[in-house]
Amino acid sequence: MSNDVVVELEGVRKCFGPRVIFDDVSLSVHRSEVVAVIGPSGAGKSTLIRCINRLNTFERGVIRALGHEVYGTEEGKPALKRDELRELRTEIGMVFQTFNLFPHLTVMKNVMLAPQRVKGLSEAQATARALELLEMVGLSHRKDAHPRQLSGGEQQRVAICRALAMEPKVMLFDEPTSMLDPELVGDVLATIRRLALDGMTMILVTHEMMFAKEVANTVVVMADGRIAEMGPARQVLSAPKTERARSFLERVLPHTDGGGVTDVRTHPQDQGGPIAGPIDSIGGSALWSREADEEELL
Amino acid sequence: MTVVLASIWGVWAPYLPSFLRGLVITMEITGLGLAVAIVLGAILAGFKLSRFRTLRLIATVYVDIVRSIPVLVLLFLAYYGLGQLGFTLSGIASATTALGAYYAALLCEIFRGGVQGVEKGQKEAADALGLGRVSGFARVILPQAVLRVLPPSTNQLSNIIKDSSLVVTIGVADLMARSYQASASTFRPMDMFVLAGIIYMALYLVIARAIERWELNVQRRRG
Ligand SMILES: Nc1ncnc2c1ncn2[C@@H]1O[C@H](COP(=O)(O)OP(=O)(O)OP(=O)(O)O)[C@@H](O)[C@H]1O
Ligand SMILES: [Mg+2]
Repeated sequence: MSNDVVVELEGVRKCFGPRVIFDDVSLSVHRSEVVAVIGPSGAGKSTLIRCINRLNTFERGVIRALGHEVYGTEEGKPALKRDELRELRTEIGMVFQTFNLFPHLTVMKNVMLAPQRVKGLSEAQATARALELLEMVGLSHRKDAHPRQLSGGEQQRVAICRALAMEPKVMLFDEPTSMLDPELVGDVLATIRRLALDGMTMILVTHEMMFAKEVANTVVVMADGRIAEMGPARQVLSAPKTERARSFLERVLPHTDGGGVTDVRTHPQDQGGPIAGPIDSIGGSALWSREADEEELL
Repeated sequence: MTVVLASIWGVWAPYLPSFLRGLVITMEITGLGLAVAIVLGAILAGFKLSRFRTLRLIATVYVDIVRSIPVLVLLFLAYYGLGQLGFTLSGIASATTALGAYYAALLCEIFRGGVQGVEKGQKEAADALGLGRVSGFARVILPQAVLRVLPPSTNQLSNIIKDSSLVVTIGVADLMARSYQASASTFRPMDMFVLAGIIYMALYLVIARAIERWELNVQRRRG
């Protein structure tokens, strides 16, 4: 493994009971690389990134994160010890679709908890770090609020701060904006964009195709229990090589040839559908996540 | 009306000091029983949530057995039964044992439900941050579980207070015993048991309202 590979998956198979969710997934993520994982609902995107910090186990293959094998699936290869796993997780930041902030703690305490309890930072050090991060996402004025008093977009930005406070070497995002109202998506994406510019290594499950195209270096399309296509973001999103990736993108994008990505209104589903009117006027990238979700349910 | 009240007061007044001393004993039994029930109940809940089958089994068997026995039987077992085996317990100690053992079984189920009811994502967020099992539980799960178990636990508190009156059968001079004595010596059971009832009710209401207010305060602070 070359030194600047941060996360590496080799032939990973994941099952839930007898059901194979995906198989033979291999992927290398290099330092400062942003990988967007896209694909239809149920393809196993969340499950995949949850395997990386071992919130899920898997049945076959190897995942190495920051040089550690996170889980031994082969005989004679023991999994990380509990403490080693805990140590590793401090270096892998995770942001959930549903934020999962700690409701009993203020915004500040949410961000300060792990640095104090795990890294042994003093109250003053943890406070300084938390304030700096909240400042960065424009939420220092909400530091004494409790999560329930915040909008979804604000909660998600706090959740990002909470993860960043541990100074992780890689960040995992599981559809960080898909629970948000359209007008709140932008602030969260701006925060992630800024992390990308700062050189943070990130794996991002998303339905925001425009954002993926803009920020990601690599796009991974998961479908039918495997990686259907993987490659440079612009190439995969504009001119997918495989039939499976193309058919997925055709359903979530207006048209995949060239810059069609930018024109929301030409999406065929927008015409005549019962919700076409009101949604039409909202526009913006959030629309993508809505469409993607709805279509995969059909 | 005033005449009636004055005459009832006339009956009650001489017995009030005695009743209040009885109330103190009732509170003692309730408090001690509750303390034992909370500690033992928390331990049993820990067993039920344990990874180890044996511990889960122990807790399940305990809860199933104890919950199905009347508190009075448990009280007699503690007072007379243990005495027969050479462990002589005082009346208050027997009551503490019986109430503690019985309500531990009920609280165990409440506590377990409270912990399991905390949203799954909370544990995952704690894990993902690298919080250990101890900090994760103490700082993330427990504070949320406590608030969830408060209302059903307060309910059980009212039952402990009421069940504490069973000690009248083993000669402890609690509120119940004293009202019984008073009614026997005055031949006015209606007046005396009404007074006892009022005092029991006041005790429960004061504590329950205090807990409720604390809970509301916390919830308001959390938004
Ligand atoms: N804990 C679990 N037990 C059993 N099956 C599960 C579990 N978690 C997920 N699955 C199943 O695994 C499959 C993949 O789920 P996953 O959440 O990874 O999909 P996804 O690609 O993230 O979808 P979405 O875009 O809707 O979030 C789904 O069919 C789901 O029902
Ligand atoms: Mg998902």
